[in-house]
Amino acid sequence: MDGPLIVQSDKTLLLEIDHPAAEEARRAIAPFAELERAPEHVHTYRLTPLGLWNASAAGHDAEQVVAALLDHSRYPVPHALLVDVAETMSRYGRLQLVDHPTHGLVLHALDRAVLEEVLRSKRTAGMLGTRIDADDVVVHPSERGRLKQALVKLGWPAEDLAGYVDGEAHAIDLVTEGWGLRPYQQQAADGFWHGGSGVVVLPCGAGKTIVGAAAMARARSTTLILVTNTVAARQWRDELLRRTTLTEEEIGEYSGARKEIRPVTIATYQVLTTKRKGVYPHLELLDARDWGLIVYDEVHLLPAPIFRMTADLQARRRLGLTATLVREDGREDEVFSLIGPKRYDAPWKDIEAQGYIAPAVCTEVRLSLPDAQRMVYATAEAEDRYRLAASAEGKNTVVEQLVARHAEDQLLVIGQYLDQLELLADHLDAPLITGQTTVKERQRLFDAFRAGEIRRLVVSKVANFSVDLPEAAVAIQVSGSFGSRQEEAQRLGRIMRPKADGRTAHFYAVVTRDTVDQEMAAHRQRFLAEQGYAYRIVDAHDLDAPPR
Amino acid sequence: MATFTEHLRALGVDGLAALLDRRRDLAAPPPASVRALAARAGTRASLDRALARIDTGTLAGVEAVVALPPPVRPADVSHAVGAHADVWLGVAEDWGLVWQDDDGLHAAPGLSDLLGPHPAGLGPPLAETLARRSTEALATLAAEVGCTPTELAERLADTATVEGLLAEAPIGARAVLDALTWGPPVGRTPRPGTPGAGAVGWLLRTGLLAVGDPQHVVLPAEVALALRGGRTRREPPTPPAPTVVEVDSRTVDADAAGRALETVRLVGELLELWGRAPAAVLRSGGLGARELKRVAAALEVDAGTAALLVEVAGAARLVAEDGEESPSFCPTTVADDWAGDDAAHRWVELVRAWLTAERAPWLVGSRDEAGSLRGALDSAHRRPWVPRLRAAVLGALADAGGRVDAADLHTVLAWRTPRSAPTEHAVQAVLDEAAVLGVTGAGALGGPARQLLAGWVPPDGTEPTFTPTAVLGAAAALSQTLPAPVDEVLLGGDLTGVVPGRPSDALEALLTDVAQVESRGAGLTVRFTEESLRGALDRRSAPEILDALASHARGEVPQPLRYLVTDAARRHGQVRVGSGAAYLRGDPAALAGIEQTPALRALGLRVLAPGVLISPTEPAALLEALRAAGLPAAAEDAAGTVLHARPTRHRVRHTPMPVPDPEVARRRLLRVAGDLVADTGGPAAAPVPPADGTPEPSEALAVLRAAVGAGTEVWLEVASPGGTTRRRVRPLLVEGGRVRVLDQQRAAELTVAVHRIAGAQPVDGPAGVRVDRSADGPVEDGEAWTDH
Repeated sequence: MDGPLIVQSDKTLLLEIDHPAAEEARRAIAPFAELERAPEHVHTYRLTPLGLWNASAAGHDAEQVVAALLDHSRYPVPHALLVDVAETMSRYGRLQLVDHPTHGLVLHALDRAVLEEVLRSKRTAGMLGTRIDADDVVVHPSERGRLKQALVKLGWPAEDLAGYVDGEAHAIDLVTEGWGLRPYQQQAADGFWHGGSGVVVLPCGAGKTIVGAAAMARARSTTLILVTNTVAARQWRDELLRRTTLTEEEIGEYSGARKEIRPVTIATYQVLTTKRKGVYPHLELLDARDWGLIVYDEVHLLPAPIFRMTADLQARRRLGLTATLVREDGREDEVFSLIGPKRYDAPWKDIEAQGYIAPAVCTEVRLSLPDAQRMVYATAEAEDRYRLAASAEGKNTVVEQLVARHAEDQLLVIGQYLDQLELLADHLDAPLITGQTTVKERQRLFDAFRAGEIRRLVVSKVANFSVDLPEAAVAIQVSGSFGSRQEEAQRLGRIMRPKADGRTAHFYAVVTRDTVDQEMAAHRQRFLAEQGYAYRIVDAHDLDAPPR
Repeated sequence: MATFTEHLRALGVDGLAALLDRRRDLAAPPPASVRALAARAGTRASLDRALARIDTGTLAGVEAVVALPPPVRPADVSHAVGAHADVWLGVAEDWGLVWQDDDGLHAAPGLSDLLGPHPAGLGPPLAETLARRSTEALATLAAEVGCTPTELAERLADTATVEGLLAEAPIGARAVLDALTWGPPVGRTPRPGTPGAGAVGWLLRTGLLAVGDPQHVVLPAEVALALRGGRTRREPPTPPAPTVVEVDSRTVDADAAGRALETVRLVGELLELWGRAPAAVLRSGGLGARELKRVAAALEVDAGTAALLVEVAGAARLVAEDGEESPSFCPTTVADDWAGDDAAHRWVELVRAWLTAERAPWLVGSRDEAGSLRGALDSAHRRPWVPRLRAAVLGALADAGGRVDAADLHTVLAWRTPRSAPTEHAVQAVLDEAAVLGVTGAGALGGPARQLLAGWVPPDGTEPTFTPTAVLGAAAALSQTLPAPVDEVLLGGDLTGVVPGRPSDALEALLTDVAQVESRGAGLTVRFTEESLRGALDRRSAPEILDALASHARGEVPQPLRYLVTDAARRHGQVRVGSGAAYLRGDPAALAGIEQTPALRALGLRVLAPGVLISPTEPAALLEALRAAGLPAAAEDAAGTVLHARPTRHRVRHTPMPVPDPEVARRRLLRVAGDLVADTGGPAAAPVPPADGTPEPSEALAVLRAAVGAGTEVWLEVASPGGTTRRRVRPLLVEGGRVRVLDQQRAAELTVAVHRIAGAQPVDGPAGVRVDRSADGPVEDGEAWTDH
């Protein structure tokens, strides 16, 4: 026994990655354990009921799980944990969702006592119809997702054998001229397709759109793509035109500006969740065609109403794409149970090591408030403190120093507060993009930036995600929305496309010392730190020294 | 026919020593003579103890010897219980419950009272029931059965006769007998004219039933045996076969070792906690529920585990009341020695204490009969039976050699000691505690615990002990199972650290001091935060912390961590609290913030001068409140130096638990037995007249019991207000602290309370006893002899 795995009593698994057998162990535990943290020495996985049930759904049994733990563990595995794994997994599939030839969708029990328990539960109220016989109950087709979610909460997850509707067929193929699917993109697309539905987690800049395109080419059916905003919608369209056989006439945009419904329709979350007089007027889009595939881009941002809509779409294949499945509202589990389990997840540093995303150096620059401002800060109301600290004047000087240091690079300055950004844009003599900038203007500026005509851009949170700026190599963050971990990661993601000359990307977070800004920064950095991006901390007054 | 006393005398030194070893209550205090020993062995208390410890088979054998009509041969017993009973009878004889001579097997005196009134569900013998009938009635009965009156007893005990009679029985007679056959053998006499009356009347006429009292009929023992086919038990006693799940011994040991380490760690934390802040003793004694909750929260365990840990620490004398005016529980000096030992020895000490503790930790938190909460460490809750229970449960588990669930273990114990079987709940509780302590792993007994148990002289009322070899062996076995300690920590840029294995004591101490533990198990993960460092900075400087971390780290200390430590040190003490005048000084801006904080208003802070605040609050409370509000305050002395506080460590002086040598106890028993045999001059010696002294009351009872059995008369001396009176009586029954006697001269039945009996002497023999009643107080009720 000298494996790379250490089992903790709180059901976390520690994988020592410098160990020669680490890769083998990772492959063995990946099907059932959730990757929680991936810093430099030891990766942390967690055993959860949901993870174990997903493994069951994918055809793994408890014996394999136990064997994987025993084979790779360095120390004896607590007996109680093994028993618990076996018990948890044995709960999966006592109930099945099947397509009954006459009654349609039916909940079928292999264990009658479980069915009785479930029928009596308040959680399933209103989801189930008439009881056909001792073992079968009719399920309202629209409740399929909600029922599955309720059953997971009751601890009796159902095996869904009812299958998916094929949707309206539509020929889509990849056009692989001059490029090919990367191995992890292929694995992600395959993992999704075999699982039927689910979430693919890939770092920013690792080509999630292409995984979506590959999934569409597998489905070969009409597809609805839900994205965060119009700019992202246009990027999706351009990418699909470039990578697939789809033509402009086949791709529709359904946004505030346009309402096109075509075989492949790209809609924004915003338009779907627009509410007028208590109803969602654009919801019918979901039924406008017999969609064979629904793609959710940036699934970590999926708004709550769409959660509920998705529950009605359980018969259709669903693909969720994200780089950062951390939600500050703690609803990660709902994403998994409604879209589907995680089908592919790669640590950022692994993709970096393969050269598909740029290596990045993260630096936190700390500056002290001058005494006068400290007094203002100390006596300020609690709700004003973050803004005060985050938009401290001293940050402007720091940004200027950093910009000077990276004079040759394509550079973004990202912030939260408009007056701060306006001031910075002024100082740096750089264009500013905010929510008030028109889509057309945004497109123009981004295009100019991509073409290298503009070297510096000052942007607000509109550029947090879904904006593809391949040659941006430096990002300076001056403020953000409090302690959002995914925002931090997404902002780093803006500069992670591999550079033509293989340059290292630089990410700077400028932070005011001894204030709530510093606390928020620590929280924001957690996701990236857990992905192995260690922040170097530099004092602002040390910045004059030349870069190493 | 020999007597029980003679039987005992014939056992010789080794035999007596073996008996005394089994029934230790007989040896303390040493009996004056073999007769006194025999009398003591026949007392209810002693027999009860002995019966409580024999298995179902042996009990069935004893029961058959008591129930069957004499003479009883071993073959009769085997037949009666339905299984080969020789081994069981052997055990019963070893326990001094039955003995054998040429006349067959005899039950020890007093046993029939204990197993009565209907041993094996059998009624009185025919000899007794027939004797109650008049001569004419007997003649009629004999005619009915078809024999002479003298042959009646023999004929009615014969299956063929009984079946023959029953062939002509009226309807319902068989049903009546069926109801009484397997006991209880007493039934209510039906009223005349009711359906059963005819059948019962016929049964009484044929002698198959007898009149018990005016309202009841009784089935004579021989008739019942004839109907049962000579059996005393419906089913032959069969040892249960529990379901044993075999578990790989490495799994068991590894699992047990993990829990053992955890227990040792938690007890260590408990000592640490109470060393810093002792826990108050309730006025009624013991630890209050709130204090227990505090322990549970600090140790991050549930209340049940906290109670167990506290009780074990108490039993191991690691914590005790400090005896102050308002007493508290705090660690003892024994705890300091314990803490210096290696993990394996520390564990053995805890388990040793747990096994022998006369306490039931699982009852802590439940309510007693009076409805009050049972607290931990309450000396009022002593339960002498608990060590025996633990020995029984773990012994059964050891014999099973695998995992057995509580229900199955309970049936095993019900077989092993049917008269003192614990409840299933208690068995479960012991199993649960054993699992927490690492005595068991994966439900089976662990190797180290097995070694310890093998050297445990089982508890039976005397001080339970462990042999030194068992103690050392168990510790060695645990040391072997434990994974080697790891002295290395992997520090991550995300401010976490991972020890890939069991941390060495030094490393664990360092990491728990400077970081927050995130998870435990086979390894240890910690997170460094400014808060976790803040406490540590009271004890060490930043360079010291970094050096200590560097000396354990694989590779370098990551830059973010170095920065965090340095930055925390920079902030540490940014705001300082003085002890002399309760002032606050430091950075003016920080102080201005503090003064503005509404939560701190209660401290009465006000600006004394730019950069200085003053407060009427005691400096300690002030410091605490500031830190609670999240401010990096530190205390300083008059020279402005930050005070480096060390945690206080409260201790009570205490001596460690002794390890008595069981060999000493065995030698003592041999000496007692030797004295007995020497004193009586061996088996052939003539009966010794009673010494003029104070023989035990139990001896007088033995004389009375012998007289009941033999139907002979005794001189009975009874203490009464007017002095001792002496009567010649025939004892009829000894039961429940009373003796029923027949005074033939006055033709009256009397009941005498046992505590009034001053002496008893067989009328025809010299061997009587006198009981010294001089110590008894004045008699209050004035009536010693009660007419019955």
